[in-house]
Amino acid sequence: MILLWLISWPYARKHLVRWVLTIGGIVLGVALLVGMYTANQSVLEAFNRTVEHIAGKTQLQVSAGDGGFAEEVLERVQSDADVSAAAPVIEQVVDSGFKGQGKLLILAVDMTGDRSLRDYDLEGGDQDVMDDPLVFLAQPDSLILTRDFAARNGLESGSKLAMKTMEGDRQFTVRGILRSGGMTSAFGGNLAIMDIYAAQKFFGMGRRFDRIDIGLRDGVSLEAGQASLRKVLGPGFEVEPPSGRGQQFESLMGVYSMTMNLASVFALFIGTFIIYNSFAIAVTQRRAEIGILRALGATRGQIRALFLGESAVAGLMGSALGIGLGLLMAQGLTASTNAFMEGVMGVSANADHMLVRPWLLITAAAVGVITSMVAAFLPARAAARVDPVKALQKGQYQVLSAGENRRRRTAALVAIAIAAGCIVFGRSTAVFYTGYFLAMLAMLLLTPALSLYLSKLLRGPLKWIRPVEGALAADSLIQSPRRTSATVAALMLSLALVIALGGMARASYAEIAEWMDSTMNPDFFVTTSQNISQRTFHFPDSMLDGLRQIPGVAEVQPVRIVRTDFRGKPVMVVGIDSLSIARRTRNRRITAGDFDGMYRTLAEQKGIIIADNLAQLEKLKLGQTLEVATPTGALRLPIVGILKDYSNQLGTIFIDRELYRKRWKDDSVDVFRIYLAPGANAADVKARILDGFARERRLFVLSNKEVRSYVFKVTDQWFGMTYLQLFVAVLVAILGIVNTLTVSITDRRRELGVLRAVGGLRNQIRHTIWMEALAIGIVGLVLGIAAGALNLYYMLTVSRENFAGIALDYTFPFGIVAVLVPVILGAAFGSALFPAESAVRSSLVEALEYE
Amino acid sequence: MVSVNGVSKSFDGKRQVTALEQIDLQVARGEMLSIVGPSGSGKSTLLNLLGGLDRPTTGEIRIDGQNIARLSDDDLTRLRRDKIGFIFQFFNLLPSLSCMENVALPLHLKGIAKRETTVRARELLDLVQLGHRLDHLPDELSGGERQRVAIARALAFHPPILLADEPTGNLDSHTGAEILKLILDLHGRMGATVLIVTHDAGVAASCPRTVTLRDGRVAGDVRR
Repeated sequence: MILLWLISWPYARKHLVRWVLTIGGIVLGVALLVGMYTANQSVLEAFNRTVEHIAGKTQLQVSAGDGGFAEEVLERVQSDADVSAAAPVIEQVVDSGFKGQGKLLILAVDMTGDRSLRDYDLEGGDQDVMDDPLVFLAQPDSLILTRDFAARNGLESGSKLAMKTMEGDRQFTVRGILRSGGMTSAFGGNLAIMDIYAAQKFFGMGRRFDRIDIGLRDGVSLEAGQASLRKVLGPGFEVEPPSGRGQQFESLMGVYSMTMNLASVFALFIGTFIIYNSFAIAVTQRRAEIGILRALGATRGQIRALFLGESAVAGLMGSALGIGLGLLMAQGLTASTNAFMEGVMGVSANADHMLVRPWLLITAAAVGVITSMVAAFLPARAAARVDPVKALQKGQYQVLSAGENRRRRTAALVAIAIAAGCIVFGRSTAVFYTGYFLAMLAMLLLTPALSLYLSKLLRGPLKWIRPVEGALAADSLIQSPRRTSATVAALMLSLALVIALGGMARASYAEIAEWMDSTMNPDFFVTTSQNISQRTFHFPDSMLDGLRQIPGVAEVQPVRIVRTDFRGKPVMVVGIDSLSIARRTRNRRITAGDFDGMYRTLAEQKGIIIADNLAQLEKLKLGQTLEVATPTGALRLPIVGILKDYSNQLGTIFIDRELYRKRWKDDSVDVFRIYLAPGANAADVKARILDGFARERRLFVLSNKEVRSYVFKVTDQWFGMTYLQLFVAVLVAILGIVNTLTVSITDRRRELGVLRAVGGLRNQIRHTIWMEALAIGIVGLVLGIAAGALNLYYMLTVSRENFAGIALDYTFPFGIVAVLVPVILGAAFGSALFPAESAVRSSLVEALEYE
Repeated sequence: MVSVNGVSKSFDGKRQVTALEQIDLQVARGEMLSIVGPSGSGKSTLLNLLGGLDRPTTGEIRIDGQNIARLSDDDLTRLRRDKIGFIFQFFNLLPSLSCMENVALPLHLKGIAKRETTVRARELLDLVQLGHRLDHLPDELSGGERQRVAIARALAFHPPILLADEPTGNLDSHTGAEILKLILDLHGRMGATVLIVTHDAGVAASCPRTVTLRDGRVAGDVRR
């Protein structure tokens, strides 16, 4: 400890800026880790809190995907002897209609039976509503609100509240206010109670419920109750305790947070390089100091502990700052996670406050410290091995020994050979990831040699641009490979990730655009919400004939979309008019099967078609029989076709609409796909549709262009990571280059002093520093692009095998590279401004080392 | 040629240190003089001020009638490049540049065309008898050879003033004598005003005039 104070602290104080830059990578990595985890936990906790508070005394819940099930299921449940209470529920999330208040969770219940499971503690005077439940039934426009929501929006008993329903805008009357406590904190207090039969009408649910909440008789265990109900209901239903929904939500969130975790891991990895670089340089610069300490009696262990201690302090400082930054980021990330889960996964949580777990903060601090110490391990070991005699002599110490170079090259070649073998011969995931790791390791091992080679190549052009400044800039890189290569390695890794993500984004865009052209090609989509993915409301089947009769309409295809459990994951089941869809999507890409044959068999209700990503994720093949849970029992049919589809990240199953109606006992529609007759005026047809239907119900007519725009916007959310990673790359470039240049200027003090002494103007000094920075940027870019091309191959494979099952073509993102070049070179130039100023303003006399 | 009037130089640190106090010195065009004194007397500080590497705290320094204390940093640099040749004790050659490139450095900095620069650099190296070492790096040369290269560099623009700070301090006596002979020879041929800071009595004696500094003041001025 005393050595840290006597030796390390003065050095750190003298190089404070560099110290700050060094820990920058740790700050970023820890911030991403803390921010993302806090956001995830906040959203999850909000969801669980909602589920738990709304559940009340519910012990089990019966559901059948998000399509719901017919009312008669309630009687079957009630007939089970183990059931003491069974209450049907419809749960929907709607816009609250109040600015800044977000969404409102509607809990629609049957008041006659629901009070056995939930407590409704209404404020005085409103109790009549509860005591006489027929008040609710007789007045279907009734709502009960929480005290919190009512207070925020200036509502009381008797107030009116407008809401959009399937029957258009309706005015609802507040009949009661729930006292604070119990379920009123669910969904951030944005909760409204409605009569279930009114909800069926307003949400277009026909005679269906979302779920049944169940209380068991005394003495009946959960397991026994589950078994008994599963026997009564048969396959196709989920019977789980309320906590089961939280687990499912958590697994859905895992898909989203994987990409952020990747960014966090990468930032920490890059932070490792920056710290390694700084400590390696520090050990080199402090050789004389180390030599003196060793000469005076410090053991190797003490020297090693000194540098590891410094790295631990750096890690602790980085973690502290990272935690602070992460908590700040968590606010924005919480909102983003909320929006994603709702928009893409169809589940809402309304997290209104952040959940900060002390153990996360401790873990984040530990991660920062450990990362820093791991990064400093090799330099600390090198410091411990410094020969005191040699250290006290003057001379070159930056050169990598020929032996060290050879060892790195040999190790790299071995790694490349094994990685190639893994690609050619590997069949398992473990082999694949081993190859991936070794390929990246090989690039890292070759970085010093390749940096040196590229720096030598650059000397000529730089000298041509500016004979003195350019030559000196290149020489600075050539003579200090250790200083340069770690920064280049960090930049290379960072760019490798940007290019891989960019390549995946570009390929995805191309695939999705093709899918949109071939499949999502109707002229209009008639939907119940402004974005095509929300399915709170449903259309009745009866609208179909009316739409078909509208002048200008050539064809109408009804589509019903539900989520159902398949091997523990929520996959989409889409009920389509098979032959009609087949006629209109002939250009659709097929992975397996015969196009006409598959749709014909689908129409005959003798087979199912699945999306390619489901086949990849679940290892399904053409001809394999699939079992799908439905409210009327398990549906077992062979896979007759596999095609490219991007409707759902977890996979989609297509069945004929008639089969869907039969097995789900549901004839509602989510979307009508409308094709116009040749020569029909689109605006006129749209007006006719709105005129004919929008007056009496909630209805939106979206053009193909609008839907396309929405789909690409959702895709953008996934690939927003590319932009985040680009930001990280720029930050890495700046951190690394400023660090390297700061050390370079220190090392080159005499050289720069001589330059000024013999007539170098300040601008000329600046130019040499700027050119050095640009040279580092160029070397980093070249290696980063090469590594990115390799990384793209691996990440496409990961995406196909493990992530979303989507097989994307290898498309090198030249567009991203065209953006990267000026951005990184601009960042490099910007990084050089402060060090260059510091170089020109330093004392000339001190630089020349006079008395 | 060089006029120093009432020049003082102090350095601010934990304590203020006065390196020079009220220095007056006049050096005629073409004159050669040595500056001697014990360690810490301010010799190198005076040379730095005369070479425009540093600025006086008070007083005035005129080079060819121009008050250099008032010049901007860039103007001072141009003055140093065009009118003053500096020879350092530790040579201060750039290790990654060849002899030719080191000598050509000031020419490139001024933006002289490459062809002309190459011709001039060769001439200068021939002048110091190193024409056969054009492409050699500094660490391939002996101490004496490195100092010759440094001298050749200092002569890039035929400067009217040559400042040498302990030019033989890092060399053995035999080599040092050769370097001194070279400087004397160049003084005779080019007629430059030469100021040499030295500890070496022999070097001091070879100059027609010797100025002695003690405790930051002129303690003696002997002409032979």
